[in-house]
Amino acid sequence: MNNDQVSSGIWFLIGVTICLASLQYRIGTLSSPGSGFMPLLSGLAIGFFSIVGFIHATIRRNRGEIWTSILRAVRWEKALIVIISLFAYGFLMGTIGFFLCTFLFIGFLLRVIVPHRWLWVSGGSLLISVASYIVFEVLLRAQMPKGFLGF
Amino acid sequence: MGFQLAFQPTNFLFCFIGVFIGTLVGVLPGLGPVAAMSLLLPVTFNVSPVGAIIILSGIYYGSMYGGSTTSILVNIPGEAASVITCLDGYQMARQGRAGPAIGMAAFGSFIAGTLSIIGLMFLGPFLASMALKFGPPEYFAIMILGLTVLTFLSSGPMWKALLMAAFGLFLSMIGMDNVSGIARLSFNIEEIIDGIGLVPVVMGLFGISEVLINVETSMERSIFAAKIKNLLPTLQDWKASLGPIIRGTILGFCLGILPGAGAVISSFASYAVEKKISKYPEKFGTGLIEGVAGPESANNAASGGAFIPLLSLGIPSNPVTAILLGALIIHGIQPGPVLINEHPDIFWGTVASMYLGNIMLLVLNIPLIGVWVKILKVPYPVLFPLILLFCLIGAYSINNNIADVFIMNIFGVIGYFLRKFRYEPAPLVLALVLGPMMENSLRQSLLMSGGSLFIFLNRPISSVIIITAFSLLLIPLIPRFRKKRPAFSE
Repeated sequence: MNNDQVSSGIWFLIGVTICLASLQYRIGTLSSPGSGFMPLLSGLAIGFFSIVGFIHATIRRNRGEIWTSILRAVRWEKALIVIISLFAYGFLMGTIGFFLCTFLFIGFLLRVIVPHRWLWVSGGSLLISVASYIVFEVLLRAQMPKGFLGF
Repeated sequence: MGFQLAFQPTNFLFCFIGVFIGTLVGVLPGLGPVAAMSLLLPVTFNVSPVGAIIILSGIYYGSMYGGSTTSILVNIPGEAASVITCLDGYQMARQGRAGPAIGMAAFGSFIAGTLSIIGLMFLGPFLASMALKFGPPEYFAIMILGLTVLTFLSSGPMWKALLMAAFGLFLSMIGMDNVSGIARLSFNIEEIIDGIGLVPVVMGLFGISEVLINVETSMERSIFAAKIKNLLPTLQDWKASLGPIIRGTILGFCLGILPGAGAVISSFASYAVEKKISKYPEKFGTGLIEGVAGPESANNAASGGAFIPLLSLGIPSNPVTAILLGALIIHGIQPGPVLINEHPDIFWGTVASMYLGNIMLLVLNIPLIGVWVKILKVPYPVLFPLILLFCLIGAYSINNNIADVFIMNIFGVIGYFLRKFRYEPAPLVLALVLGPMMENSLRQSLLMSGGSLFIFLNRPISSVIIITAFSLLLIPLIPRFRKKRPAFSE
């Protein structure tokens, strides 16, 4: 299997799932389409194009195009760390507040992705947290979440 | 009226902020106008609708100016529309002619930008009066054409682009059905009963995924070290560039109006035209000023042209104008044929601010080149946490809801894998915006015709548009055109 065969297979499953999910709603008729009409059409379209893609990819596979790892020659663990920290920011922002959460988030990324010295990390993250708090909370009144510290 | 509005101190300031941020966004590789406009959309909630549109449109055409600077100095395009400028711009810089290259890019952009605004001024009201005769079948046909053109022009295989458009359509169906009032496909998740917001999706697909791709590869870049001097092009440079600027302007403006096309395609088309009609096509890519002047004029003219379908029909032609459409709707304004009559301040205020913005950009760009070069030297490991932070704050502040942050993160991961498997997300975004409008026009058309799909072929305007759209779908099946589609690059 090559990359496009795998991805079109995944899309086919997504298309089937969408079709099944849309059947929960009234499909209606052509003269009176129901709520499920367009979702069903989009699911069918995804399924159809994924089949076209699979055929296209299979022809290329037969010509010698093989699977190439999408994580080859990259430091994917850095991307994973960033993803985890983004979700952690979402989970923690409501509890510990915007300011502290931003301080920890920036500090973590500055220290872990391309390690800087601790002084640089703490100073940089403090500066960015204070600046973003002033700009978004004080000046633009963006009403960012306040944690147990009250800011 | 437009100039009165544009010259009001607050709007003047908004215009300046917009074009300044736009240039900055254009200069910085890894942050495009789509992501930047999404980030700043919540900030514009507190200003007047005219002010909001002035800021956001300033970011759009400002980024077209700024994008050329990195292409010329670093050989890294600041945004997609400046990719082609790398070919000759960087070579000029290596030959010690970075100044004239940057200068001509700025002058060409100014001329093209100004001419496209004149076009918008005349063509916008005309198209709006025409559009009053349009019914649901015509609107549906235009939206189908928009999606088809975008998928046709996307890089990589066409089935991938069509798949992305279909997935975008599905995402747009999530939430409340306007006709029946039923919450569709929300699986009792309260946060998505009103649908999935455009801004978190765009920020995830374009902003977060871009950072994820960048952090896993080398984050070093070399900046052109030589001192930049003589920004004003010589008489010889002007002589060589005038034709490409005019041709690029006309081409870019026409392609910009077309739903689905836009700045990126215009710049490539302009380069191809210049190379084709040149007396020395073999020298393209070795540092010819025509290779900078034409594409840079074309992408700016296209950004002006893209406002025509948005303001006169209410149909966005690319992801950037889709965000502008979202901004107008958030401010309670429905773009479409009646916009010019009902909200003349929005239309003429935007047009006048664009004149003003183009002059500001010319004044800004020439003396600030040194500043942009310094900003380019900010290391990416320092820059990317800031981009992520702006995305997080931007997503949260749309509705003051953490759910939007999670939606953005999820689409960031989806965008990362889409890039890895070489799927272009632009058709997804356009379909996400057009989806609800398409569904309404399709259902209304079918109700009008009693269920006959021939309604789209029985009416002259919609039949021409639908036939054009289907022809575009069939073109890749012709062997001669099959191998000419550009490959997708992460």
